[in-house]
Amino acid sequence: MTVEAVTALLPAWLPHQRWFGGKDQPIDGLTVVAATQLREREPEFWHLLVEVTQGDKAIVYQVPVSLRDRAGDRLEHVLLGEVDGRFVYDALHDKETTAELLRRFEAQDQVEELTFHTEPGALLPLGEPSLVLTAEQSNTSLAYGDSALLKVFRRLVPGVNPDVEIHDALTRAGCEYVAPLLGWLDGGWTDRDGEQQTAGLAMLQKFLVTATDGWALATTSVRDLYAEADLRADEVGGDFAAESARLGMATAGVHACMADVLPTRTLSRDEVAAMATRMVERLDDAVEIAPELLPFAPALAKAFDDLADLDDVIAAQRIHGDYHLGQVMRTVVGWKLVDFEGEPEKPLAERVALDSPVRDVAAMLRSFDYAARHLQIVDHPDNEQIAYRAVEWAERNRSAFCDGYAKSSGRDPREADVLLRAYETDKVVYEAVYEARNRPSWLPIPLAGAERLATR
Amino acid sequence: MNGGDHLPAAGTDPDWFKRAVFYEVLVRSFKDSDGDGAGDLRGLTDKLDYLHWLGVDCLWLPPFYPSPLRDGGYDVSDYKGVLPEFGTLEDFSRFVRLAHDRSMRVIIDFVMNHTSDQHPWFQASRENPDGPYGDFYVWADDDTGYPDARIIFVDTESSNWTFDPVRRQYFWHRFFGHQPDLNYDNPAVGEAIIDALRFWLDLGIDGFRLDAVPYLFEEEGTNCENLPRTHSFLKQVRKVIDDEYPDTVLLSEANQWPADVVEYFGEFSAGGDECHMAFHFPVMPRIFMAVRRESRYPVSEIMAQTPLIPTNCQWGIFLRNHDELTLEMVTDDERDYMWAEYAKDPRMKANIGIRRRLAPLLENDTDQIELFTAMLLSLPGSPVLYYGDEIGMGDNIWLGDRDSVRTPMQWTPDRNAGFSNAEPGRLTLPVVMDAVYGYQVTNVESHLTNTSSLLHWTRHMIEVRKQNPAFGLGDFTDIGGSNPSVLSYVREFGDDIVLCVNNLSRFPQPVELDLRRHEGFQPIELMGGVRFPPIGELPYLLTLAPHGFYWFRLVPQVAESTP
Repeated sequence: MTVEAVTALLPAWLPHQRWFGGKDQPIDGLTVVAATQLREREPEFWHLLVEVTQGDKAIVYQVPVSLRDRAGDRLEHVLLGEVDGRFVYDALHDKETTAELLRRFEAQDQVEELTFHTEPGALLPLGEPSLVLTAEQSNTSLAYGDSALLKVFRRLVPGVNPDVEIHDALTRAGCEYVAPLLGWLDGGWTDRDGEQQTAGLAMLQKFLVTATDGWALATTSVRDLYAEADLRADEVGGDFAAESARLGMATAGVHACMADVLPTRTLSRDEVAAMATRMVERLDDAVEIAPELLPFAPALAKAFDDLADLDDVIAAQRIHGDYHLGQVMRTVVGWKLVDFEGEPEKPLAERVALDSPVRDVAAMLRSFDYAARHLQIVDHPDNEQIAYRAVEWAERNRSAFCDGYAKSSGRDPREADVLLRAYETDKVVYEAVYEARNRPSWLPIPLAGAERLATR
Repeated sequence: MNGGDHLPAAGTDPDWFKRAVFYEVLVRSFKDSDGDGAGDLRGLTDKLDYLHWLGVDCLWLPPFYPSPLRDGGYDVSDYKGVLPEFGTLEDFSRFVRLAHDRSMRVIIDFVMNHTSDQHPWFQASRENPDGPYGDFYVWADDDTGYPDARIIFVDTESSNWTFDPVRRQYFWHRFFGHQPDLNYDNPAVGEAIIDALRFWLDLGIDGFRLDAVPYLFEEEGTNCENLPRTHSFLKQVRKVIDDEYPDTVLLSEANQWPADVVEYFGEFSAGGDECHMAFHFPVMPRIFMAVRRESRYPVSEIMAQTPLIPTNCQWGIFLRNHDELTLEMVTDDERDYMWAEYAKDPRMKANIGIRRRLAPLLENDTDQIELFTAMLLSLPGSPVLYYGDEIGMGDNIWLGDRDSVRTPMQWTPDRNAGFSNAEPGRLTLPVVMDAVYGYQVTNVESHLTNTSSLLHWTRHMIEVRKQNPAFGLGDFTDIGGSNPSVLSYVREFGDDIVLCVNNLSRFPQPVELDLRRHEGFQPIELMGGVRFPPIGELPYLLTLAPHGFYWFRLVPQVAESTP
């Protein structure tokens, strides 16, 4: 094949992919920065890294393609186009090319700038057919049978991939609260400025069979509560508190493990003060975008001032960084935390920065608030009774989560009250901005959180 | 009667218990043939056609031995007799023969651990310490031995030792003070027990449910449960069974976590050389929990924790039985929760359990009763039905001890529910008479005339279960799914593949199932034979009614065209 001919198909195809970042802008330039042939015989398999320039931004995308002489079985929906009478497909959907990836992992191959790594003793799902499960904002995940999950990062950020790095460290440490890593793929390229770059391209981990995410489970509980508005959260059948407590224990378990095997340090007073200053700035900006925050702003700012004045030594470590009920999976052997990439919108340096684990706790406490309120906001906007019960549900589960965390770690996060409050307040401010921009009808959720934080 | 409907020849069907639906029936409460107010063996025999019609494969009879009846007959005073009010040994033989004629098997309770204090062995032991029975029980000069053994009946017993004023010594008992434990350290005890087992096997029965097996031996410094010598003795019993009585089953009642219960199956590599079956206790409270929480995890979790068992063995599972809903197996949190939920009335608590029948436990909600029964009939293990639950009988919580769930079977709307023609005051237990579960409404006759009744439904389900060997013999695979309120699993035995999908929620639910392993198969609903769309690569979408369930057989898809 000619890489050039395949490249010519991309400008028309890329903008329709969910993981493509710049849908609203024209593509100004498109260059293949790395092309590696992983299989020669039918179906031919090429691994491409493509640098797309849009305005002043250049982003490298990972685009593996397969080429077939005849139309593939059930691949119509991932056809890029035809080249010299051959069909070009998204290779992650082609079961023969995805099987090739497994063989490369097994051989721990190095092919040009692609390096396939496996964890010691990892059992690879050889022979299991793959299926693409989800196309997320920035990755494509596929399952090999029900034994392994391959998460392919589509938008590449040069540097160490935190998801791979943390899964690797936690797997080696034997942490029971994550899906063990089986292997990962590293790659390199030369960017438009002639700089040599490397990045984590994909990770293979144990599939959490029969799992459901925490958001779905919490929503089940909340729905049950709404159906019995005369009963309290601790009286209805769908009570979630025991699960929340177990989730708190799992969270503490992961934090303890990360502190053991990854870097730690303490934050200086100056750093804490600087952090508080950034929080105040974000609040100031947020009030512009969501003026509904204005009445609470002085009281919210007080939380940040208290943080700036804090005398305590704050221990910092690697944390999850983008923690919420959608990032935890309930399995038949308890809770597992997933997705350690950090907040995708933030630059890599911030995503891997050491921070207090209380930030994750605060984020999960906010998530309980969301779980309690979002159905009410959407389905029962004017029902005061349900709103009241929802607050009770959130309180009950927030408290159970902290109890579980304290039981496992020996430290009750509620005792770090200044820190917890500042992080929670910062999160509420972030949420208010997000909702004001994207989902104004959900704005009442962070506003209620802001009100609670402002008045206690 | 179906002619030609006989049991396979002895020795030709060693796996029968894996496919069987068991039915626990209390002789005292099923049918009174002589009008003395208590059910009896002849009455039970008269009702064999009903049981055969229902489709159950094996009847389990709790103790009917001579007994002072201070513990529902579990206080045996003669291992080789029949309680006179229940009939005679001849009545029993006839019952077994006629059950076999209807291709139903019979297992009986056998209480190995202890006897009644009225048993002649105990009387001889207390009066003549040096006689042949002097060493048949566990005697001691003080009550300090085996301090690490827990007290099982915490609300009636303060010690495992009781002083006997005749022998002037203490005797050991793990249960009530009127039930002295046999001393298995004395080989003569083991021999006497095996002799009694042979006595019943020679009458043609198909096996025993062995009561309270973990406690046979005692050893200082242990909790006196599950000791190695207890297992050795069970192996010895099993050897006798295998050598002399083929196709006979031993079902152990070891009320422990599954990981400990598996010990009672014996050697894994030998395919099991102790008991053929053991009860899986935690399944039942977990099913209640899962439906209450609308979450599959209580059940999925316990299934994931259930160890593999030897090839020739099988679990026994149940929703209710003559004892109470057992809560020993759940964690403190869950126990508190189960109490709060199911035992709002303190009189419903007994020991650490709850004495209620299935229907009242589920507030007589037909959808839930059917869902629970469907899970009982489809989860791994042989299901054990409790008499009366097939018509949704109620209980009488005002009766003492565990009698609330042992009231007479309700046959008709006539006097005494058709159970007995005695004066109503003579009945050993009164029939249930409340407005919902009373015999005027809830009885076999009315269920028989109404083809949409729970009884007809149960019979149909049993029939469907029998047509699919996967239920009894198949592997179990939890397949999860997108919705945590839906419990789905596949049972697979050769080409018999059954998919079971249960909505644990009181609301309608959609679910997407990952059925890639069965791509190209077509689900056929087992109750009605309706063909569902074939399974492709993408998640399979189903919607379920509140507390609804599906059983599908998965068959390779065939093109439907006319030649």
